[in-house]
Amino acid sequence: MIDIKLIEECKGGNFNNFRKLVGITSPIAFSVAFRMLGDEDEAKDVVQETMITIWLKLKKIKSTALFKTWMYRIVVNKCYDVLRRRKRNPEIIADDLTWKLISDRVYEEPSAELENKEAALVITLLTNKLSPKQKAVFVLSDLEEISNDEISEITGISKSAVKSNLYYARKNISEMAEKYL
Amino acid sequence: MEPENEKYRRVLNILRNSKPELGSTYNIENEVFKRISKVKQPKINLSDLIDFLFGWVYIGWVRRSLITASILLVLVFVYQQSVILKRIDALGRQTVVNERANIPESADEIEKLLMVYRYSGRRFPSKTITISERQINELIKSINELQVKYKDLENLLKGDPELKELIEKKLIENNSTKTSL
Repeated sequence: MIDIKLIEECKGGNFNNFRKLVGITSPIAFSVAFRMLGDEDEAKDVVQETMITIWLKLKKIKSTALFKTWMYRIVVNKCYDVLRRRKRNPEIIADDLTWKLISDRVYEEPSAELENKEAALVITLLTNKLSPKQKAVFVLSDLEEISNDEISEITGISKSAVKSNLYYARKNISEMAEKYL
Repeated sequence: MEPENEKYRRVLNILRNSKPELGSTYNIENEVFKRISKVKQPKINLSDLIDFLFGWVYIGWVRRSLITASILLVLVFVYQQSVILKRIDALGRQTVVNERANIPESADEIEKLLMVYRYSGRRFPSKTITISERQINELIKSINELQVKYKDLENLLKGDPELKELIEKKLIENNSTKTSL
């Protein structure tokens, strides 16, 4: 939970409090960025960029209560930029052995926790064919468990568009899982 | 809305459980603050702004030209001031006299005006003109010269009646009135 008082103090230009805010919000921003990008280093860069944007534009935020939504929006937009740059790169295709390893890991134990590298690989392979918007909606809805209303505000798309993007994302991931795992 | 797919549900559960680990936020905090300081510094650097605006004064030939121009300006100013002071002094020494607007053309007219002036005790209908002390001196000097010349002429005419007659004749021709010398 982000303290509203802390945000208000940061708006006044308090450097020490902003350090606290960075400490609290960085893991939240990292979680979204990492799940959208499937790359730890790129996710960390996005977090840094996000924090700098927050510092520079924090004074302009009208309602402190909407800080989290605003922060998510910055993270998602930064991730869009990274994914757009990545489009020029060749598509990642996993071999059968990699899929076998992932499959074994998934079926080992239902409540098992994956390490960052493993999670990154699973996310990258399963969401490889999704558009940036579908990726964002899937991560925010199914992994971060954010409501559709809030996702609509974060991504700037209508609620119906959120639902349709989520449907296609789930369908695609489900097909991939059915096929390879 | 979620697809009823066992594999999908498994993958989703595992990914939800595997919250990405950011580790220490210390590096991110430091990096963010380093970059924020870099963004802030150029705005405060006043000496750079002064150098940018007035740096050209350090160019040798510009400096010399400016010094020459300023000396010239000072000299022109001093000269102008002295000229103005002289003119003010000259004006201070000028006398204000009244002069008739229409200068009488003949001696009879002057006589009439003087008569009117004597009886009425008034001044001539006049306009104010300004003449200097030098001009008055010149006027007095010329009157004196004129008086001397008139006496000489009188003496000359006493000794030569023919010349007197000739001059009287000429004056009558010019003024169309009889003039006795």
